[in-house]
Amino acid sequence: MKKVLLLLLVLIFPVMRAQGAQNQDAPTRDAAIPPDIEKLAARAKETVEVTMDGPMLRWASKFLSAKDPDEQKAAALVANLKGIYVRSFEFDEDGAYSPTEVETLRSQFRSPGWSRVVGVRSQQDGDNVDIFFKLENDKMAGIVIIAAEPREITFVNIVGPLEVDQLAELGGEFGIPKLDQKSLSKAHRGEQK
Amino acid sequence: MTHMNRNLTPDNDTNRMDEVLKRALRREQAPDGFADRILARASEAPLAARSSAAEPILAGSWQRFFTRPLVRWATLTALATAMFLGVHLHSVRRERARGEAAKQRLMLALRIAGSKLQLAKSRVNEINAGQSEKPEDKE
Repeated sequence: MKKVLLLLLVLIFPVMRAQGAQNQDAPTRDAAIPPDIEKLAARAKETVEVTMDGPMLRWASKFLSAKDPDEQKAAALVANLKGIYVRSFEFDEDGAYSPTEVETLRSQFRSPGWSRVVGVRSQQDGDNVDIFFKLENDKMAGIVIIAAEPREITFVNIVGPLEVDQLAELGGEFGIPKLDQKSLSKAHRGEQK
Repeated sequence: MTHMNRNLTPDNDTNRMDEVLKRALRREQAPDGFADRILARASEAPLAARSSAAEPILAGSWQRFFTRPLVRWATLTALATAMFLGVHLHSVRRERARGEAAKQRLMLALRIAGSKLQLAKSRVNEINAGQSEKPEDKE
């Protein structure tokens, strides 16, 4: 009987060990999400939180189907990324968050290494969108999008090398028109003026 | 005839019987190894008795099948393999479910990022359109 138990332990132990290793692969979140935005979650009606570090991204991309064109493009897009972090909060009413809170959030990306490429302020709709690029050796190493709408605030941080073409593809994916480089450049020039 | 008669007298018969008995019951030396053989048989006897007693219980029973060592080990190996495969299959299914969930989260993140880029683009286009209309207005 002891022999049988020993045999079973020998057979089951590697499986248990492999499962334990999988559990240890849980994403380790770094400073990719500003702590200020997490505070808004308490006031939000609906919250979307996506935290995907490098290993999780690579693992998730393994399940993207090569037959599905959308998933195929997504797989190519995330191939070299180090992480995708999204926080989106929807509120019951206008003014659930203050402009100061959004400005504090934006200010964290007005530091060396970051370049504000797009900054849109709409008095009519109240939609404010800021796009920051992280540049390393004149190459894009990440993008941050902060979209503040009257009842919604969204923060997107994509970490990793991302070509402008890929960015345009990201903007044009899922039935969304592509973001051409000209409009980005014009907006950037307009912002500098 | 007289000789025959003399031999058939009761005294003679008694003497003859005595001699036969003496011959039959005379002490003889046991053959070599007799004691060892007796002891060996005595030690075998309980085992044989035991097996003959157990046989009727297990005879025709499926349990008798598992009394063979080879069968017993084969059964244990099959059970262990089945358990191993079961655990492995379960972990594969669980990993696949987690992977599908991760994929959905990834696609959601890309959709949100894409929609916000679209919002930025539409606003930039509005600004560009407004700027291009201004010179015409001036004209």
